Amino acid sequence: MRSRAFYITGGILLGICVTAFIMSLVCLPYDPNATDASAKLVAPCASHIFGTDNFGRDVFSRVLSASKYTIFISFAGIAIALVLGVATGLPAGYFGGFTDKSIMLFNNSIMCFPGILLALVAVAVFGASMFNVIWALGLVFAPTFARVCRAGTMEIKERGYILHARVTGVKPVRIMAAHILPNLLPQLLPATVIGLANMTLFESGMSYLGLGVQPPDASFGKMLADSQSYLMTSPWLLVFPSLMLIFYILGLYFLSEGLRVSLSSGGAM
Amino acid sequence: MNTRHTHLVKVHDLSIAFPGVRNPDPVPVVKNIEFGIRDGEILGLIGNSGSGKTMTAMAIAGLLPDSARIISGRISFAGENLLTMNRRRRRMMLGSDIGVIFQEPSTALDPLCKVGKSLDEILECHGNKDRADRRAKILAILSMVGFTDPEDIYIRYPHQLSGGQRQRVLIAGAALLSPKLLICDEPTSSLDTVTTVAILALLKDICHRLHMTVLFISHDLSAVRNFCDRVIVMRGGEIVDRDSAEEMLSHPHSGYTAELLTNARLDPRTLGLTRASVDYSSSPILTARHLAARYDNSAKTVLSDINLDIYPHEILGLIGSSGCGKTTLSKTVLGLIPHTGSITCTGGRIGAVFQDPVSCLNPAHSVMWHLKEPLIAARKRMSSRDMKIRIEKALTDVGLGSEYLTRLPSALSGGQRQRVAIAMCLILEPFVIMADEPFSSLDASSASEILKLLTRINREKGTSIVLITHNIHIVRQICPRVIVMDRGSVCEEGLTSEVLQNPQSEALCNLLNAERRLHGDNH
Amino acid sequence: MSQNSRQNLRYAIAKLIELLATLLLVSFFTFAAFSIIPGDAAQIMLGPDASPSQVEALRMQLGLDRPVVLQYLSWLGGALTGNLGNSVAYHVPVISLITQRLPVTLGMSVMALCLVIVISYPLAVISARRPGHIPDQIFSVLGHVLFAVPPFILSLLLIVFASKVLGIFTLGNYVGPEVNFGAYAASLFLPSVAIALPKIAMTFKFMRSAIIEQNASDYVRTSKSHGLSDLRILFRHVLPNSNVSSATIISLVLSDILGGSIIVEQVFNLPGLGRLLLAAISRRDFPLLSGMVFYLALITVILYFLADICAGLMDPRIRLK
Repeated sequence: MRSRAFYITGGILLGICVTAFIMSLVCLPYDPNATDASAKLVAPCASHIFGTDNFGRDVFSRVLSASKYTIFISFAGIAIALVLGVATGLPAGYFGGFTDKSIMLFNNSIMCFPGILLALVAVAVFGASMFNVIWALGLVFAPTFARVCRAGTMEIKERGYILHARVTGVKPVRIMAAHILPNLLPQLLPATVIGLANMTLFESGMSYLGLGVQPPDASFGKMLADSQSYLMTSPWLLVFPSLMLIFYILGLYFLSEGLRVSLSSGGAM
Repeated sequence: MNTRHTHLVKVHDLSIAFPGVRNPDPVPVVKNIEFGIRDGEILGLIGNSGSGKTMTAMAIAGLLPDSARIISGRISFAGENLLTMNRRRRRMMLGSDIGVIFQEPSTALDPLCKVGKSLDEILECHGNKDRADRRAKILAILSMVGFTDPEDIYIRYPHQLSGGQRQRVLIAGAALLSPKLLICDEPTSSLDTVTTVAILALLKDICHRLHMTVLFISHDLSAVRNFCDRVIVMRGGEIVDRDSAEEMLSHPHSGYTAELLTNARLDPRTLGLTRASVDYSSSPILTARHLAARYDNSAKTVLSDINLDIYPHEILGLIGSSGCGKTTLSKTVLGLIPHTGSITCTGGRIGAVFQDPVSCLNPAHSVMWHLKEPLIAARKRMSSRDMKIRIEKALTDVGLGSEYLTRLPSALSGGQRQRVAIAMCLILEPFVIMADEPFSSLDASSASEILKLLTRINREKGTSIVLITHNIHIVRQICPRVIVMDRGSVCEEGLTSEVLQNPQSEALCNLLNAERRLHGDNH
Repeated sequence: MSQNSRQNLRYAIAKLIELLATLLLVSFFTFAAFSIIPGDAAQIMLGPDASPSQVEALRMQLGLDRPVVLQYLSWLGGALTGNLGNSVAYHVPVISLITQRLPVTLGMSVMALCLVIVISYPLAVISARRPGHIPDQIFSVLGHVLFAVPPFILSLLLIVFASKVLGIFTLGNYVGPEVNFGAYAASLFLPSVAIALPKIAMTFKFMRSAIIEQNASDYVRTSKSHGLSDLRILFRHVLPNSNVSSATIISLVLSDILGGSIIVEQVFNLPGLGRLLLAAISRRDFPLLSGMVFYLALITVILYFLADICAGLMDPRIRLK
């Protein structure tokens, strides 16, 4: 029951974002990077629903374009984090002993760097670009997934069906991939969705600092950084990008809550 | 009604209900029941889950969940009506006038508090301000519940004690202030036979010494038999039968009670089991010598110097109290635990059937997948047609039709799951099956089905079976040979008829004793 | 009991070894990050216009011509003694730059942490007492929303709110602690709130569910059956148990707070480690960068270690068998 409320709210918010994403690919009203000196800092009106910025660029189109980058970066980053996390966490939990200790030492060391710090370092060393942001964030989030996988694996591997698989001679890789992994989904799924939300928070922070998607391409963080000087005079520069960003994160967050509630109450073993 | 005894507790027209989930009408769980507990007696309250027995007891104790509503009735305790009593006074009665013991001792004590501290708190809360006096009382009660070194237990944490020890501590806590009434809610359901008998004996002793009246709740009729004076049977919120324990259990009045009695215990004699005949002069098909194993980081050896022979076509019984190492031995033979010593077998596979029907199947995959995996793992080069034939044959062997192939484990009952587990084992045609308590988590009818199945497999295919069980009657019936384990080593071994008639070791004597005390002399 | 104290000691030593091993690995990662850069370090620092002799001179100055292992060891030695060389961009010892900016970052982090604990703990206790009732619902919804707002947006909103609506705040009024401690604390208050709010939401949620989980435990039932009052059960049994998991959350939050302060400093224009970090990145000042990254990671490692020790202190199941 409660999970339905979460799903609906999350669904609506995410739906808005996905629509923006699709629109950005299909029908942008203006070129998001096209400047127009005659239409600088115009308040929201009929021809520019979200107004224009200090370069005369249409804020609505920029918001749509930025949402495209946001969604893409968060998904790509999470995919990397998942693959890395599962690949390290499963063997650590399954084999135990030295393998476990060494993988976990590695893992915990990465977790000792505050996330933003790691990402900033990657960008410092390799340069600021969307690609670097993606793999840096993927690396930052991988340890969390590794932990979830490891904990779940350690619990599952003592169960009867895994013991039976070992007795019949199923190879360890197959046991981990086909026997254990499908049963980790109830824990991985909510973690993934929350990971998407957190990754977006990180990414927006980084582009705020100028270290994410590079101008003139639109990104929420950068748009908000630029809006700071015009905070009092042109509040629409703050309001609309913030709202879209918050909708995405909030939508993901509610979705993960709904998943968590329904998976824990109605789920299988 | 025997007016010679006074009633400590009288329950009069009691009804309890929970608010409905879908509809606004409350759902009654206890309907207008009426009974009394005589002073000094041990009253058993029997029923299956949903019968209302626990709610009734919690109503007397004053521990009903917030959502429960007492719709009508009165409960008088030593003359006073509990339901109209002041809340604070009612709360203070708990511990001092009414004591409660629950099931699940592993989670029933605060893991952060040492035993002594937990018990100390009870006394302090009920007004004892003298620290030295409290300590003395606690040590006394710990000694009374059977601890030989109370000072040592005083400073231990709950996780450092065994299940039986924790239950003793809980009994000590409940009896600490010598309450008039002791309510026991399934106190032995999660304990093994030997510990159950010991705890019941302890309870009887304490109740006698401290002059406590007992309300004993259980679904297990065998525990009730030797313990209670009178028994009340509940079903669906109502009382369906009441009598003295002797009368009830030998001549039950209602059909429901009779049904409970027959379902309580798996009686293999009624099943007509025939097994394969064994020639003990032939050479064993599996030999293990000097097996020893230990858990990775501890110095404590779990198995020491085990020698094991398994003969063709035999059903070998393996018994012992909990913690003796039977499961570890089976896992070691299966190759799941690293060990020292040798295991030689004349070729062929060893199959495994485990206890818990819930975790024996992978919830993410269908039955078909479960039967295919062993074939893939064994790298049998078979065409998919051959594989299909093999799988269907395995299913037929265990008595399931091919419509089960596409089902997920969540759609199967416990007995069906265990069958699939046996099919997974059979599909590779093992020459020995290690069966670890395959029916102890099943209800009596499913358990008898699995037992018949295993005997049939032994008879028709000639597969040897090592049967680990705590049910000595089953061993008597179908195992020509038996091994008794205790604390990681074999303490007795031989033909069942001889070993069980003349037990030599203390462990076996305890087991037979507990069996007899709980289930009566059955042969 | 001597057996118990032996096990306690063993636990502490195991954790210490873990700490040292992690530190070693962390230091190695930091060192590696700034040595495996594509191209030559000195070349990149000086830019494409530098002459080969300038690059060579810088290489020798930075010791980049020695074998990698030696470089690592001397770097590590320097890091542990506080000598990380001079900043390439500012030409002063790295360590002095860091200590100069430390009060801002440290002050914000400590204040944010205090806010997190002081606000989320009581709210979590209140919510968990009656889950689903009005106070719980309000707090939970607020928490959900706060969690989703990025810290820099929150900072911007707070600035607008505090300066325009309340008129009590103006940007750029930072004062050092040695000058006027009161003004120092005041200038850091709003940024700390910005960092703390999303963390409060997260911590509240975790603590609340930890307490609710403990409330459903069997030992609560046992305590009630002994006649103990609800409040006593809460404070003597439920909270100590839930504190074990709450402490873990706090240690995770600390790391986030450190990271969050980097961004918030930018918004509020405060001269802290975050601004220094960004400046170092834009100037490719690797000695400064490696020093800052290492020290921040060092703080985190030590904090995690302390959290583990605390967890061991609080929960005997972790340190005793």
